[in-house]
Amino acid sequence: MPESIIKEYYEHLKEGKLVGTKCTVCGGYTFPPTTACEKCGSMALEPQEFSGKGTLLFVSHGVAPAPNPRFAELAPYAYGHVQLEEGIFVQGLITGVDIDPESLLKLYEKGPMAVEKDIIEVENLPILAFKIV
Amino acid sequence: MEGKFREPVYILGAGCTRFGNLMETPELKGLTLQELAAQAVKEALADSKTSPDEIDAVIIGNVTMQTSNLPATYSQLSKWLGMEMKAGVHIDAGCSTTNVGVSMAAMSVASGVYRKVLVVGLESTSSRPSKLSPYERETIPTEEMWLWTDYCINQAYGVPQGYDIFPVYNGFLALGYCRKYGYSIEDFDRSMFELCKTRRLHASMNKKAINQEKLEDEATRMGYSDPYEFWQSPYNPFLSWPSRLRSAVVPADGASALVISCKEEAEKYDGLPIELSGFGISIGDLPWYGSDPTIQNYDVASFKKAYKMADIQPSDIDYLHVHDCSHISSICTAELSGYLPQGEGLEYVKDGRLRFDGDRPMSTHGGRHAFGHAWAASAGADTYEAMKQMRGIAGDRQIPKTPHTSVIHTHGYGMISTVLVLKGGK
Repeated sequence: MPESIIKEYYEHLKEGKLVGTKCTVCGGYTFPPTTACEKCGSMALEPQEFSGKGTLLFVSHGVAPAPNPRFAELAPYAYGHVQLEEGIFVQGLITGVDIDPESLLKLYEKGPMAVEKDIIEVENLPILAFKIV
Repeated sequence: MEGKFREPVYILGAGCTRFGNLMETPELKGLTLQELAAQAVKEALADSKTSPDEIDAVIIGNVTMQTSNLPATYSQLSKWLGMEMKAGVHIDAGCSTTNVGVSMAAMSVASGVYRKVLVVGLESTSSRPSKLSPYERETIPTEEMWLWTDYCINQAYGVPQGYDIFPVYNGFLALGYCRKYGYSIEDFDRSMFELCKTRRLHASMNKKAINQEKLEDEATRMGYSDPYEFWQSPYNPFLSWPSRLRSAVVPADGASALVISCKEEAEKYDGLPIELSGFGISIGDLPWYGSDPTIQNYDVASFKKAYKMADIQPSDIDYLHVHDCSHISSICTAELSGYLPQGEGLEYVKDGRLRFDGDRPMSTHGGRHAFGHAWAASAGADTYEAMKQMRGIAGDRQIPKTPHTSVIHTHGYGMISTVLVLKGGK
């Protein structure tokens, strides 16, 4: 039976691992994984684990009620734009951050800051979130 | 890619309904989507002096079928538009739908296959058929509309892991712009207030806009003598700090239609045909940008393709509309287009230079916030406004120096970036 790439991603996430792909043609990383290299389009790929460490470039917040009912209890939540140390850009929930304007202004004024993965479970699905370190 | 039309292509006529709410707005109340689309088509056919039998093909767009219950829109509307026995197709390119339809129609005309093609976009973002009724509708909660709209967004990893359009399209761009160009958050907020004033001024002169009330008048109505105090009040909360509610899209119901024609048919037309001299289309997926949220690379690609095809430079542009579901996104895109200098967009806003009577007029219909946004219909409404301006018939909001080259940019969720270059007019 073929394995779903998407299912495998979430299973890895549940184990605390961030697994994407490395292209065997151009060496480019794709995260989260798909069927093709996002740099060159090749489908010759091998698994690649990412550290989960990166830099939080921007953090703001979303709205409540959340469009996706999975997040009804969490919304509104802090959401960030992150560059992983391997160079990939990802966006996700930021844990441990207050979203009032004064708190967000202080974070903005500090500039980019180090984060690491903080995988949380929301309604039985592991979610890639980050926390400031 | 050849990147050129083999024959010139024209937009002969356009139609657009009032943008509003099918449950409330006087001009729309009680209409079905079939009737709404027919309103826009009737105007476009009359404007282009085209009889239904002259149309060879119909391209009809609709995005959220949960609110229309009209899959196979080509056949479901064919009798309503007088288009049976034509070639037809339903397309969905998110909020770029109508202008992608225009580009597809243009290629079919330039190839010599068709002589005239009708492009239609229709959408309801506020209600859906009630209990499968053929004509009764019920209001939908805003979050449900966004859930359905977010079906256009990465369903493998984005949406399941908490994707939210407001930080991704508003907050991060605002912070990225301020950090890149050294604006304070306070400066940013004041500029967004001024931009909202401009868009609301434009819509106050447009009988088809969803919100025809100037921001200053709304402030007075709400008991504020200082409009900026109203801007910063709880009536205008942060959707995604530092971006506020009145810097964002206002969902609407509406329809638009355009008649695309070959040169020979345009020469028979005694009105003012507008030449579609180039287009650019580029797609991408999340994340929409890297370390600099002010640059979205599919936009860079679309502008480059369209300018090359139309053989224009940014300095040739007389009128610009860029997708403005997020006002700060529209400033970033206008700078990317070359119409505004990099990092100076907020200054242009504060100086009133983006007003219809300024030297860099933009979005004179009111844009996504004040004209309203009916997903599949909006790109056509943007083109409709450009044609009005180029023909010199935009009424009180007419740009004093009639534009001869207009550029229309749209973002279709998420993303399909489109750029049309229009030439001609009065």
